[in-house]
Amino acid sequence: MHMEFASFPYLSSILAACLLGFGAILLIPARHTMLIRYVSAVFSGITLIITLYLFCAYDKRVGGLQFVEKVPWIPPLGIQYFNGADGFSLPNLLLTGLVFFTGVLTMWRMETRVKEFFALYFVLVTGVFGLFMSMDLFFLFVWYDVSLIPMYLLIAVWGTTRKEYAAMKLTLFLLAGSALILPATIYLFVQSGLNTFDIVALMQPGTFGESQQKFAFIFLYLGFGILAGVWPFHTWSPIGHVAAPHAVSMVHAGVLMKIGAFGILRVAIFLCPQGWQHWSQLMALLAAIGIIYGALVGLRQTDLKYVIGYSSVSHMGIVGLGLSTLTVDGLNGAVFQMFAHGVMTALLFSSVGYIYDQTHTKSVAELGGLSRTMPVASSYFIVAALAGMGVPGLANFWAELLVFIAAFKVYPLRGVLAIAALVVSALFMLRVVQRTFYGPEKEKYARLSDVPFGLGIPRMILAVVLLLFGLFPSLMVDMIETASIPFFNGLPR
Amino acid sequence: MNWLLFTPEIYYLLVSLLFLGASMGGRATPGTDYIAALSAAAVGMAVTAAAVKLEGSLFAGSYRIDLLSQVFKVILSSALFLVLCICAQLNGIRERHRRDFYCLLFLCTVAMMMLVSSVHLISIYLSLELSSYSLYVLVALRKNANLGLEAGIKYFIIGIFASAMMFFGMGMVYASTGAGYLEELTEVLPGFVHDPLLMLGLLLTLSGFFFKLAVFPFHFWAPDVYQGSMNQVAAYIATASKVAAIGILLRVIAVLGEGNAYLIQVLAVLSIVSMTLGNLAAIVEHDVKRLLAYSTIAHAGYVLIGVLSASAGGYSGTVFYAMALLLMKFTVFLVVVQVASAGGNLRIEQLAGLHRRSPLLAMALLVAAFSLAGIPPTVGFTGKFLVFTAAMQKGYFTLVLIGMINVVISLYYYLMMVRAAYLLKPDEALPDLHLSLPLRTLTGALVALMLVAGSFPYPFIQAANAAVRALM
Repeated sequence: MHMEFASFPYLSSILAACLLGFGAILLIPARHTMLIRYVSAVFSGITLIITLYLFCAYDKRVGGLQFVEKVPWIPPLGIQYFNGADGFSLPNLLLTGLVFFTGVLTMWRMETRVKEFFALYFVLVTGVFGLFMSMDLFFLFVWYDVSLIPMYLLIAVWGTTRKEYAAMKLTLFLLAGSALILPATIYLFVQSGLNTFDIVALMQPGTFGESQQKFAFIFLYLGFGILAGVWPFHTWSPIGHVAAPHAVSMVHAGVLMKIGAFGILRVAIFLCPQGWQHWSQLMALLAAIGIIYGALVGLRQTDLKYVIGYSSVSHMGIVGLGLSTLTVDGLNGAVFQMFAHGVMTALLFSSVGYIYDQTHTKSVAELGGLSRTMPVASSYFIVAALAGMGVPGLANFWAELLVFIAAFKVYPLRGVLAIAALVVSALFMLRVVQRTFYGPEKEKYARLSDVPFGLGIPRMILAVVLLLFGLFPSLMVDMIETASIPFFNGLPR
Repeated sequence: MNWLLFTPEIYYLLVSLLFLGASMGGRATPGTDYIAALSAAAVGMAVTAAAVKLEGSLFAGSYRIDLLSQVFKVILSSALFLVLCICAQLNGIRERHRRDFYCLLFLCTVAMMMLVSSVHLISIYLSLELSSYSLYVLVALRKNANLGLEAGIKYFIIGIFASAMMFFGMGMVYASTGAGYLEELTEVLPGFVHDPLLMLGLLLTLSGFFFKLAVFPFHFWAPDVYQGSMNQVAAYIATASKVAAIGILLRVIAVLGEGNAYLIQVLAVLSIVSMTLGNLAAIVEHDVKRLLAYSTIAHAGYVLIGVLSASAGGYSGTVFYAMALLLMKFTVFLVVVQVASAGGNLRIEQLAGLHRRSPLLAMALLVAAFSLAGIPPTVGFTGKFLVFTAAMQKGYFTLVLIGMINVVISLYYYLMMVRAAYLLKPDEALPDLHLSLPLRTLTGALVALMLVAGSFPYPFIQAANAAVRALM
C-alpha cells in the first residue's frame, strides 16, 4: 500500500483548519475572548471557503470520487485514511461549512466560558467534516463518535431548559446508535474476506451475499437512523435542540441529523443495496410515520424551539422517505433535502437565538408583534419558516417536490398522508409566525433593538443560500445526479 | 544457567531487600526515601527495557523468557514507576510504614514479573501467591485501621479461597494428564477434551486468574478493597495487578488452543456477566474508587472477549488492551490522588468545580473517562475495536453487540464524573489545585499518549503482534 493524492489535499486541509483553529483557541488565554472569537471566525471561514471551492471545482462531467486522499493507517487490518468527495458528500460538506461559520457568528455575543465553548465547537465540527469526506468505514465510525463527545458538555454547560437531562439523553441515544453500527461494520469487514475497510472496494457487487446484506442493513439503518431522528428513535432530538445553545442547535439540527441520513446512504445503502431493497417498505413506513407524527406533535408546542425541533423530525422523515423509494428522484430529493433542511433549520435556530437573547423567552404565547420592533430579525425567521412550508422559490420546495414525486409513484398512500401532514404543519407554522411577529405589540418588547448589521451577517448568508438554490435548483440537482445516477445504474437487478 | 536472563527480577528483588533492610533500622527520611524509590523504579524501567529482546528458559524449563513476558515486564515496570509518581504525598499510611510500603511494592512487582514468565503449574502458583501476599499487606497498611484492615482481611480471605480452588484445580489437571508444564499440556490436551475431571480442573485453575482480574464470580472483593485501601495502592491493584493477570491468562488460554468449545462458552458467559454486572453496579456508586472497581470488573469482561477469541488477533488485541487499561485507569487514579490530597476516599461530588481548580486535571479526567468508556479517538476505543474484531472473526456477533451495549451503559457513569468536574459547583469555594511541574508534565504526557496511541495505534499493534507470536 502506498500514499495516493489526486491533487492538493483539499479535504484534509478542511480538517487541518479545524484542528489548527482548535489548537489556536487552546493556546489563547481565556480572558482574551474577542481574540478567540476572531480566531474562530477566521478558521471556520477558511473551511467555508474550501468547501465552497470544492463544490464549484468538482468536475461534474467526470463524476465519481474526486479530491481523493489515501494513506495506509493500520495495514494489518486494512484501515486507511481515505478521503474523497462525490455528489452525495459535497452538498453536505458545503452545508457543514455554512453552518459552522454562521454558527460562530451567531454565538458572537455569548460570554460564558468562551474559550471552552469554541474549542469544543471546533472538535464537534471536525468530526462532522471527517465523516462526510471519509471513504473508509473505520474512520467513518471514528468521526461519528468524535462528533458526539463534545455534545454532552456543549449542551450541559451552555444549554437552557432541562439541559443536563437533555444532554445525557442525547449522548446515550447517539452512542446507542454507534452500538448498533460498530458490530455491523466489523461484521461486514469480516464477511467480505477482503481485509479492508475501504468503502469503494466493499461496495463492489457480489462482495456480500443477500442474507448478509439484509442482516447488516437493519443494524446500520437503525444505528444511523437514531441520529437521523427516525421515528420512534427521535425522542432525543427535540429536547436536545431545545436545550442546546443556539449555535449547537444549528449544528445539531442542521448538520448532525444529516450525519445519520448520510450514514444510511453511504454505509447502509452503498454496502448493502439488496438489504436496502428488502427493508425499503419498513423505511418508508417509519419515514411516513415520522413526517405525520412530527407535524402533529409540533401542532401542540408553544415553545419556538420545540416547534422547530418537531418540524425537524418531520422534515427528516422526508429524507427517509426519499431514501426508501429506490429511485433516482428519491435519492436526489433526499440529498437535496438534507442540504435545504440543514440551511433552513440553521436559519430558524439562528433567528430564534437572536429573539431569545433579546426577549429571554421562546414561548409563542408571550411573544407578539415583534415584526414592528425588530423587522429584520423577524424577516429572517419568516423566510426560513416559509422555506420549511415548502414555498416555491426557496430550496426546500424542490427537495420536497422531488421526494414526493418519487414517493407518489412507489408508495401512493403513504405519500398522500405525508403531504397532508405537511399542509397541516404549514398552516400551524403560519399561525406561529402570525402570533409571534404580528398581532398587537407587547409593551415590554417595544424598546428592543433590531439585529445590527454585523450580527445579521450569518442569517443573511443562510437566507441567500436558501434563495439561490430555490431559484437555481439545477445547481444542486446536477451535482447530486453525478453520484445518484451511476450508483443506481450499478445496482444489481 | 544464564542469570542474565533473570536480571530485571533480580534488580527489583534487590531494591525490595534494600528497603526491607532500611525499614528495620534508621530514622525515617521520607523525602530521601521517595527520591530513592522513584529513581530505583526509573532505573528498573530501563533495565526491563534493555532486557526486552532476551530469550531463554530457567529453572528446569519452568520459567520462560520470551517477547511476551518481556513486553509484559516493561508494562509492569512502567506501572510501578507511574504509581510511585503519585506517591509524593503518602498521607494514607503512617510515616514509619513508608519503607515497608516501597519494599512491598517492589516485591509485588517482582512476583508479577515472575508470574508472566511462569510456564509450569507450580511456578505459576508460587508467583501468584507471592504477588497476592504483598498486596494483602499493602491493602492493610492504611492509616485508618478500620478501613484498611477490613479491606485487607476481605481481600485475604477471598484471595486464599480462590488460590485454594486454583491449587485444587491444578491437582486435578495434573492427576488426569500427568503434565505440569504448559507445553506438555498443549500436546496432551487434545486427547482429553471430553474428560470431565480435566475440564473441572482447568476451570478451577482459571479461577485463580479470574480472582486477580476480578471476573465474575470472583469479583466480590474489588469494590471493598478499592474503597478500603489507600488510593495509591488501589491504583497499583487496578493497573499492575490486572496487567499481570492478563499476561498469565493469555499464556494459559493459549495452551488450550482453539478446539475447546466448552471452555470458550464458559468464558463467554463469564465475560457477558462481568461486563453487564460491573457496569450496572457502577451506575449507583458515588464513591469514585468503588465506581472504578466496578468498572474494572466490566473491563475484565472486555478483556475476556479478546482472550476467548483464541486467535493471534484476539491475543494481540488483549495485550493492546492491557496497555490501554494501564494508561487510562492510572490517569483516573492520578486525578483521585491529587483531588483527595489528604489521603481520604473521594466521592464523585467532591470532583465539583475541578475544571476551575485545575483545568489540566479536569481534562485528564475527561479524556480518561471517554477512553475507559471506549470512545474514539482514544486508546480505549482502539483496544475494544481490536478485541471486538477478533471476536467477530470467530463469528461471535452477539457477544460484540452485548459488548457495545455495555459501552453505552458505562458511558453514563463515566459522564457522571465528567459532569461533576465540569458542571457542578462546589458547596464552598475550594482552593485551586497546584500541581508540581513534573506532575503537570506527566499528566499532559498521559493525556497525549491516550490520544496518540488511540489515533496512531499501528506501532503499538505491531509490538503486541510481535509479543503474542511467542504464544502461537
